[in-house]
Amino acid sequence: MTDRKTEVTESAAASARLGRRALLGAGVGGAAISLLPLLASKGGASSSSGEPTTTAAATATTPTTTAPPRRPTDDDIGLLGSAQQVELTARALYDVAIATGDWTDTETTVITTIREAHEAAAQALAGMLGGDAPGEMSQSLYDSLVSGFKGSAASRLEAAYEFESAAVATHHELLSALVGIDGATLIAAIQSAEARHGTVLADLNGQTVVSTLLVEDEFAALVVSA
Amino acid sequence: MSAIQDQNSTTKFGRRGLFRIGGLTAASAVAIAACGKSEAGETGNIGVGQDTPTLPAPVIDNGVYLRTLAGIEQSIAAAYERMLNADMLTVASSTFPDISDLSSLVTQYSEHHTAAAATLNDLAVAQGAERWECGNTRLDSAFIDVVFDYVLNGVVATDSAKAIAASDDPTRDMLNLVHTLESLSAASCQGVVPQVSEPVIRAAATAVGVVSARQAALMALLLNPGGYVASSDAENARPADTTTTSLAPTPTQNIAEPGQGAEGGGDPEPVTAPLTEIPLPVAIPGQFGSLAAIVYVGGAGDENGVRLKLNFETPSLNSYAYPFDSCAAG
Repeated sequence: MTDRKTEVTESAAASARLGRRALLGAGVGGAAISLLPLLASKGGASSSSGEPTTTAAATATTPTTTAPPRRPTDDDIGLLGSAQQVELTARALYDVAIATGDWTDTETTVITTIREAHEAAAQALAGMLGGDAPGEMSQSLYDSLVSGFKGSAASRLEAAYEFESAAVATHHELLSALVGIDGATLIAAIQSAEARHGTVLADLNGQTVVSTLLVEDEFAALVVSA
Repeated sequence: MSAIQDQNSTTKFGRRGLFRIGGLTAASAVAIAACGKSEAGETGNIGVGQDTPTLPAPVIDNGVYLRTLAGIEQSIAAAYERMLNADMLTVASSTFPDISDLSSLVTQYSEHHTAAAATLNDLAVAQGAERWECGNTRLDSAFIDVVFDYVLNGVVATDSAKAIAASDDPTRDMLNLVHTLESLSAASCQGVVPQVSEPVIRAAATAVGVVSARQAALMALLLNPGGYVASSDAENARPADTTTTSLAPTPTQNIAEPGQGAEGGGDPEPVTAPLTEIPLPVAIPGQFGSLAAIVYVGGAGDENGVRLKLNFETPSLNSYAYPFDSCAAG
């Protein structure tokens, strides 16, 4: 009896284990089978066309033109280096003008502000170019312009006016040639600010002719020798 | 005893068997359901409804940027024409009594923007886009039209707010709008540089922006003679005067002191809320061209003295002239 009871008990337990496993197995199998159509449709969608299903969104974000590089190209580095030399030359020229003296307080404030703007531009370019930045002014450009920054206050303002106009023209040429986005963006920000310098210097120098104040006759671009 | 045990064994088997049968039935049902087709056919309709509209693709390319800039330039030119046609600049300004009629100068400004729009449209056509021959709809409807309406007509009273009168000095508000729009043109032309892909477009846009920047500087000097640089830059440019760190107060265009009420007897005067200050522009606002919002303040104050204040911003997604946009559609 004891043996039979034991036998029955083992048989019942074995039967119960088998049933639970069978149930689990059937459930997992059923679930796997039920997922087949879904998996098949996913696989078919991704493999048949090779395109994302959200075609509208893909169209919206797909650029229609080739995006230029962000960082300066090899050619850009040379151009941006010249720009930094122009800015450092400007700083040196304004240092000469300030040291010459004979300024009113207002003139000192404006000239110093413009001088610092050129310095900030040079520093921004240095930050972009890193070790490729020249880090020094153009001596030949400085020598060709420094005499204008040593005369009377009026002549110094006139020389500064011409220089700012030429700097704007220089940046325009750079923007026509720069490929990288970062360099062009920085030059555009510098140019927009320096465009205002000419108007301010003309007004500071007592000019009242609108065409002069608006610098309608732009000066030629500056030449920076290597 | 043995019969009882057999009976118990039969009872256990029957319950377990029921579980097994139930589980297998459920699993089979899942498997069979998964193997079947899930298409239920088309859903029946009651009534007639329109299909879900398909939005056009919002393509943003060089042509879109150029069309957008052309629209902005034409909006500015149209705003100036509106001022000139209404002779708004010939009226003397109480805020700027020294400023003479600037109609000829603003006419020159308008011609620049009209020519700029033509140049930008030519470039757009070269990029395969269509010309944009009207103003930027967003700039017109949300900014320029709002300014004109507020300045000229004020605001009618509502259940919750009193009426706002027309501007006490429309000439001041229009001249400030000219400065704002010139600054907007300069910033927009600068802001497009990192967005377009070709250097020739960058150079053309910034050439327009340079002129606009100078025009903004000149207008700033007319409105604020001697306002060459920002007060913070002026402080920094005077190292000998830096004994205090406080900045010079920002100059404003308020010419009337706010009412202070009655003191020490007499008839009480009505307390007037201080008006929103209108900052005076400066010719060189910073060391680099700014793309920040350009704040315009103008018109008469409301019951709390608050004037209209708008932030003019360079174009973005809600103001582009997309290929599917057209001037005729507005």
